[in-house]
Amino acid sequence: MKLDPRTKMVMVVCLSGLALLYNTPGQLLLVFAVTVALLMIFHFELSVIGDYLKPFLSLMLFLLVIQCVFSPGGEVLLAAGPVPLITTGGLSMGVCVVLRIMTVAAAAMLFTTFSSRDFILGLVQWKVPYELAFMVSIALRFLPVFRDELSNVVTAVQLRGVELKKVPWREKMALYRRLFFPVVYGTMLKAQQLAVSMEARGFRVYPRRTYLRRLNLLGADIAVMLVCLVSTIMLIALHFT
Amino acid sequence: MAFLELTRVSFSYPKRGRRVLTEIDLALDRDEITAIVGPNGGGKTTLTKLMIGVLQPSGGQIRLDGRPLAGYSLGEIGRRVGYVFQNPDVQLFCGTVAEEIGFGLTNRGYKPEMVEERIQFYLDYFELGVYRNVFPLHLSRGEKQRLAIAAVLANEPLFLILDEPTAGLDAYRKKLLADYLQKIARLGRGMILVSHDEPFVGRMAERVVALKDGRIQSDSGRKGNAAYEA
Amino acid sequence: MVVAGLSGCGKSTLCFCLCGAIRHNRDGVLAGEVLLNGKNVRELRAAGLALEVGMVFQDPDTQLFSPTVEDEIAFAPENLCLPPGRIRERVEHVLDLLGIAALREANPYRLSGGEKHLVALAAVLALDPPVLLLDEVMSSLDSAGRKKVAAVLERLRGAGKTIIAVEHDLEAVDFADRLMVMEKGALLRYGRTETLLADRDFMGEKLWHSWN
Repeated sequence: MKLDPRTKMVMVVCLSGLALLYNTPGQLLLVFAVTVALLMIFHFELSVIGDYLKPFLSLMLFLLVIQCVFSPGGEVLLAAGPVPLITTGGLSMGVCVVLRIMTVAAAAMLFTTFSSRDFILGLVQWKVPYELAFMVSIALRFLPVFRDELSNVVTAVQLRGVELKKVPWREKMALYRRLFFPVVYGTMLKAQQLAVSMEARGFRVYPRRTYLRRLNLLGADIAVMLVCLVSTIMLIALHFT
Repeated sequence: MAFLELTRVSFSYPKRGRRVLTEIDLALDRDEITAIVGPNGGGKTTLTKLMIGVLQPSGGQIRLDGRPLAGYSLGEIGRRVGYVFQNPDVQLFCGTVAEEIGFGLTNRGYKPEMVEERIQFYLDYFELGVYRNVFPLHLSRGEKQRLAIAAVLANEPLFLILDEPTAGLDAYRKKLLADYLQKIARLGRGMILVSHDEPFVGRMAERVVALKDGRIQSDSGRKGNAAYEA
Repeated sequence: MVVAGLSGCGKSTLCFCLCGAIRHNRDGVLAGEVLLNGKNVRELRAAGLALEVGMVFQDPDTQLFSPTVEDEIAFAPENLCLPPGRIRERVEHVLDLLGIAALREANPYRLSGGEKHLVALAAVLALDPPVLLLDEVMSSLDSAGRKKVAAVLERLRGAGKTIIAVEHDLEAVDFADRLMVMEKGALLRYGRTETLLADRDFMGEKLWHSWN
């Protein structure tokens, strides 16, 4: 299915909105299931979705434990003497937080199904100022660049003969601390150079700019968008009554 | 036995159909200067990145010093093979030029006096002395290039891979570099030069491998073992 | 015109001055005036300067930011508010000129070093500025690429454009009318290419080092 990037943006907003609104594990599980189902319609394999969510795993476990311990309520399931460790209330809060994060992260995967240029076009054709659209898109692009930059440095460090895996923990921290500022500063220099080259190619020379391509909303896009918006609004209304 | 041995090595980037390298067979000796030449986008850089384990081949096998490359960690490879990347920016990560040169030695536990001595030597040889305490990425392109080479050479690896080492260097610096590389080659440490610079390749290389569209197009062959005299 | 000199002598910095990047984006003090086509670089906005001068920088990684090569090349004419039809024409023309039409849909970030330089050059050519600054474009190209670029530059010169190229490789400069040699931040000599190249004593072994 080929949908306009704007349609997908609407979907992401709807799904994330619901995920933030809902507060019970059942509802959140449903939103998450819908998100995953949608991703599969867009030809994502389950294993790919799993790989994508993996980096969030440790964060989620951490939050789960924190929530379990620190939000009391309901029956006590596990206690250390007089101190309740896990309560039903805490557990359900924890599960909610985890499902919420997973839903928002999974919904954001939809952004990877179109190019950053389409993203800019979508925003601009919805009257968002183009400077802002480019800023957002370059920032999004810079995340993987920054990640590459870090992995480049890690590779380069090892290729100078340093056995990172065998370096004792304390020395490793010292090494990272020493590398941190040069790397961040270097990235800033590169970002600055990027801005120079954009301006050197006439960026912002006029208050307007034109575009090689245009995005067109098809009937299907409008239909999908309407379904998403109407059902989300209805669900929100239901939630508050 | 060859120092670096590639058997039917193929490579294509994941998720992109284009095959970058197809069934490369290549055996390189440790004391030989080999140039890899060929048109832009022919797979030269990819080939050398496979040789140091930064990329993994999608088919075939690479052996370094008689053992499969996959069995080495990056650090172990780095101590045997020094790699100078095409873009110096991606391999400079220290706060000053001097630290950059001393980085590998310091982290491998060499004595500070000894590290200092080496730093001074390379600063002098590559005429970077005045920049001793400068932030590496503030240097000009040619200076960064020289620094990247110096930082790798300071580690004294057994074998060197230099990707476009002459880019950004003026003729005088090219000569300095060529002299130094020939000197260490005479000491039995070979290297791979990936380069478009025909005069440089013509002067330096004992063996020329031409790569086009991911295949070896021509190879002048191994020179045999007894060719070096000091 | 070609600017030559040892690395670190200020060639790139000179380019940054000419294209206004120093004035607008870099730290440092610019003394004196840079006049471009009669206009003072100081008084033009950074983007406004782009109408006067296009610059291809040394590091291709920090000047490519679009998802595809085509978008990269379209970026400049889009900024100039050309209608889509004209943008298309320029993109096709430049792709064709440099022989990189096959890379149209590729991600610039994933190309090889030489290809990146070609795309960076293509993106600036699409801007179609009267003055073109090239900071070591030739040195990372293979001989076929160099020939192609040299032919393109020849055509641009025929069309009345000013081209200022920074190069180390004096063998790659024979297309230049004038040569400017710098040393330690100062102009050493400036003159017709044949005259300067013929003066072997002046070029000295530092600059003109023969490989034989």
